[in-house]
Amino acid sequence: MMAITLVIAASLGAERLPLFDLSEQQRSIFYDIRLPRILLGACVGASLAVAGAGLQALLRNPLAEPYLLGVSNGAALGTMLAFVAFQDSEAARPVLAFAGAGIASFAVYRIAKSGAGMNVERLVLAGIIVTTFLSSVIVMLTTLLDAVKLRSFTFWLLGDLSQATRNGVYLSGIAALIGTLVLTSQARALNLMMVGERDAFDFGVEVGRVRMLVFGSTCLVVGAAVAASGSVGYVGLIVPHLIRLSIGSDNRLVVPFSAVAGAIFVVFADTVARTAIAPRELPVGAITALVGAPLFIFLLRRGS
Amino acid sequence: MKSRISAGRAILALFVEFIFLFSIACSSGNIANNPTMGGTRQVNDDLGRPVTVPARVTRAVSLAPSITESIFAIGGGDRLVGVTTYCNFPAEARTIAKVGDTLNPNLETIISLKPEVVFVSTASQIESFTNALTANGAAVYVLNPESFEGVTRDLRQLGELFGTTDRAEKLVADLQRRALYVSQVVGGRPVVPVFVQFSKEPLFTIGRQSFLNEVLKTAGTVSVTGDVESAFPKLSKETAATLAPEAIILSQSDDNREPNDAFKDSPAVKYGHVYSVNADILSRPGPRLVDAMELIAQKVHK
Repeated sequence: MMAITLVIAASLGAERLPLFDLSEQQRSIFYDIRLPRILLGACVGASLAVAGAGLQALLRNPLAEPYLLGVSNGAALGTMLAFVAFQDSEAARPVLAFAGAGIASFAVYRIAKSGAGMNVERLVLAGIIVTTFLSSVIVMLTTLLDAVKLRSFTFWLLGDLSQATRNGVYLSGIAALIGTLVLTSQARALNLMMVGERDAFDFGVEVGRVRMLVFGSTCLVVGAAVAASGSVGYVGLIVPHLIRLSIGSDNRLVVPFSAVAGAIFVVFADTVARTAIAPRELPVGAITALVGAPLFIFLLRRGS
Repeated sequence: MKSRISAGRAILALFVEFIFLFSIACSSGNIANNPTMGGTRQVNDDLGRPVTVPARVTRAVSLAPSITESIFAIGGGDRLVGVTTYCNFPAEARTIAKVGDTLNPNLETIISLKPEVVFVSTASQIESFTNALTANGAAVYVLNPESFEGVTRDLRQLGELFGTTDRAEKLVADLQRRALYVSQVVGGRPVVPVFVQFSKEPLFTIGRQSFLNEVLKTAGTVSVTGDVESAFPKLSKETAATLAPEAIILSQSDDNREPNDAFKDSPAVKYGHVYSVNADILSRPGPRLVDAMELIAQKVHK
């Protein structure tokens, strides 16, 4: 299915390309513009989906998602600072995005942690507090941008894969791979923790360590994804849900399957974004939200 | 149940407030029609709305950099009491009180400056508080030129409003002479296909609805994205790679110093025909449009 999606995505674009005998210009369009963008979409989709799957398992909350927990907004703010302050440095974006995601998660973690342990409601609440705070900082910063920059930035905030470069693909590819591997390696522990953290502890699961690993890899993949493509919403929320509905909630399967399904979802959505009003483009985040919101409502109704 | 009651109260409160504001708007609207000195007259703005203005404007606020430039150009700059934070030309505009920017003007600041007329471009969202401004005796006048002809018409109109018709007529004649000169100089030469890049990443350019198409035409060039819908589209890089412009015009800004990589094989990049033009001149439909015509013609047809 992944292969079919990639082939479909590769054959569609703003410009029609023949299957064989591509001219030099057409080769350039395919290899320098279309292919990196599709691959970046796959990496971003996989990253966001596994981050959602990991957080939902860890927090035992089906609504847990990089957005809800402030991770994405932390990354967005980091990228925005790079956008404003280090315009010329290609490395500044992912580094600051990762730092932003890390600081936001750490803040959420500290706010949520009260004396003895941490309960899930408190964590989600802390996530909402940090998310809204970071949103207002972002909005405040956007008022300082001039009109053209504001327009570019708004587009990026809504999720935009058009800035795909080879380096960007490598970077988010590595991040997605590491994230998926780490989260899959913790899947058994997450399975036990879903039953209850105390029970998991009795089974010899180092709850604190698992938590750090899951949070850490989430920050890594979300930081890389946001730096490359802005905020592509709903992927981390609906993809793991769909997977759990179809194959059950064993995280050893949910995490890798989410990675693949997330990749398919974003590549598909971006194909629409690239072609729907060509030669103009839509932000891919608008498409994922447009498809994601009704799908999520459908899932909710079916679930209850 | 409890929340339903409070929601009902909130709606009631909003309703009461609305009635209150509405009555204020109605009552002070009459005051605006009876100024203490001089006469008033009714004129139609660029949207065709009838606007009641003083016979000669003495206090005005401008909510767009292009309007500020136009008012200064026709000799009404000394009567501008408020401008936006982006109004940086001419230099005198920087010393005038700031009332926020085009999209987020500060209503209280504007009212405290006691303007007779507030000039807005339709790009601004001022329509929503037109009522509040009218209630405070300030007429809202929309200037929305979409062509060189529209700019000259608005300059004449501003001359009428500010009582500087002679200077406005002279200015318009001068601008028309300069534009004509540009088109005559480049007239015999082949028309050069150009790409105007406003932002490198994401790639923003001008489309069918941009006033720059006319400027480019006068300067002996043609936009290669002239058939793309909207004024300011985000363009597919795949399409960009097929356009093959012979020259690229960059709107000057720190993140738009070079053409997008999609143009790496275009004649413009191969032969180094890439030119930067002041972003303000390219984005403001005001008297400096003619500067844009001259600059582009000079650079592309050198």
